[in-house]
Amino acid sequence: MKINDKMEKQLKISSGFKVVTIVLVILGLFTVFAGFYSGEGTRTWANLLLNNYYFMSVTIGASFWMALQSITQSGWSAQFVRIPQAMSNYLIVSFVLWFFMFFGLHDLFHWTHHDAVIHDPILLHKEPYLNIPFFTVRFVIFFALWIFLTQRIKKLSLQEDQFGGVKYLGKIELTSKVYIFVLAITFSLFTIDWLMSLDPHWYSTIYPIKKFIMAFYHGVTIITAIVIILHMAGYFPSLNKTHLADFSRYIFILSIIWGYMWLSQYMLIWYANIPEETVYYVPRIMAEYKNYFYAELIINWLIPFLFLMWNRIAKNPTALLIITLILIIGQWVELYMSIMPDTVDSHTISYIEVGTFLGYAGVFALVVAWSLSKIRLVPKNHPYLIESTKHH
Amino acid sequence: MNHTNIIGIYEDEDVLLKAMDEIQASDIKIKDVYSPIPLHGVFERLNLTTRLPYATFIYGVIGTISVFAFLYWTSVISYPLKFGGKPLNTLSFIIIMFVLTIFVGTLFTFLTYFIREKMYPGKQVTLPVPETTNDQFAILIEKTPDMTDTESNKINEVLKKTGAIEIKESEVNQE
Repeated sequence: MKINDKMEKQLKISSGFKVVTIVLVILGLFTVFAGFYSGEGTRTWANLLLNNYYFMSVTIGASFWMALQSITQSGWSAQFVRIPQAMSNYLIVSFVLWFFMFFGLHDLFHWTHHDAVIHDPILLHKEPYLNIPFFTVRFVIFFALWIFLTQRIKKLSLQEDQFGGVKYLGKIELTSKVYIFVLAITFSLFTIDWLMSLDPHWYSTIYPIKKFIMAFYHGVTIITAIVIILHMAGYFPSLNKTHLADFSRYIFILSIIWGYMWLSQYMLIWYANIPEETVYYVPRIMAEYKNYFYAELIINWLIPFLFLMWNRIAKNPTALLIITLILIIGQWVELYMSIMPDTVDSHTISYIEVGTFLGYAGVFALVVAWSLSKIRLVPKNHPYLIESTKHH
Repeated sequence: MNHTNIIGIYEDEDVLLKAMDEIQASDIKIKDVYSPIPLHGVFERLNLTTRLPYATFIYGVIGTISVFAFLYWTSVISYPLKFGGKPLNTLSFIIIMFVLTIFVGTLFTFLTYFIREKMYPGKQVTLPVPETTNDQFAILIEKTPDMTDTESNKINEVLKKTGAIEIKESEVNQE
């Protein structure tokens, strides 16, 4: 019965954690103000876009993982579903943080300048889709759908805690099916709007898919990191090596899929060698961004591929935690490579990049921890709970 | 070499896994387990280890290197033909290397497995309990020649106690 008491344990946020995250948030705020004050406006906006997209995509990826678990009726993950449910609360915060981005549209997006559009036949052709009013409407609709569906899944799961029974399993499954269908369309369009239209003349059909895989990949990575950290702090007593092997299998296959998507995009553009397409890679591989170009590939594909192949690392919580921490940097590098060459001239990493990231990480950690502490950490009446705790 | 096996037949996988724990707890060595489906936990309980994944890794590395060497030799050294303005040593090698690495790794792993298990196409199956391909599970315990009757009786008792529906002995002729 001892293990049952531990399972009932509610997450308590330590005061040290609160202090650290709040200091990070204040640090981030200071960095953003300092960035604007020192005349680096565009660069600060680009960093805000990067970090907004970073944590939003992690949340989307995590909620996609949660939807997959209920669609496939996976038993092993039943005790961990509260983590992506708590993460999905960040979408509400993210919605507010994104709204500030609308003040920086002119700094980042070439197509928002009316005088540039009327002299450019390509942008004029795209104008019915790429204009600020429609852009804003799309943004609101996408976020409304995501927040509504993830909150509905969370609400149903909490009702299951209260009343029990099998009917919630089917309800959550149905909502999850709707959610992944919605996500496939909305997340792709959202990525086209906010990342690909930074260079409105260039397009790649595989770009949204690659970013979606990135979101899923790093969403699972963050869930794994949170599970391992909580396990080390004394929660999830029934976490065993088989759970860890399943988590690292997710990371392993997603690293391969990510590498495949990366190669598919790069290889086709390289092989066709059409100037309209290669223009995207010219600054990224030729000039100052060369190091980031290779770093992105090595961190996101090679390191997890090589190390997680080894069973002993894949089942070791400390080693797995180190890999997830490396991958957190990997996603940042990937988004840096997507955003910076189109927006800013300077390619150095200074206090603005580091400070903004730490600020957003603080907000994210605070929101997720606070949401987790409000709900039961392990769903009580999940039909597959026993299968999950006795997973072997 | 001839020897006898004591075989306990079970009908349920959970009963089987519990039985394995109890048999091992009473200091009896389980030789083998037959099951119609892959069972989680049997591998760990039998303390089996395998070096097959390492062999696969080595085959994969050899595959990658040799395929690259072959492509490099054909298109750079032996018959350097430029097409599409691409360099001779090109990025399009990667796809062929990727596919052939998987092929080499899989094929040689299969061959290694077949050689180690002394298997070949058309080999007659020797199953101690034919029902293990249908709906039954079997635990094999080796009956060594120097085993006394009390010891083999104890094995029978433990098997019966843990829920075996049938216990039998079989002589195995192995080359």
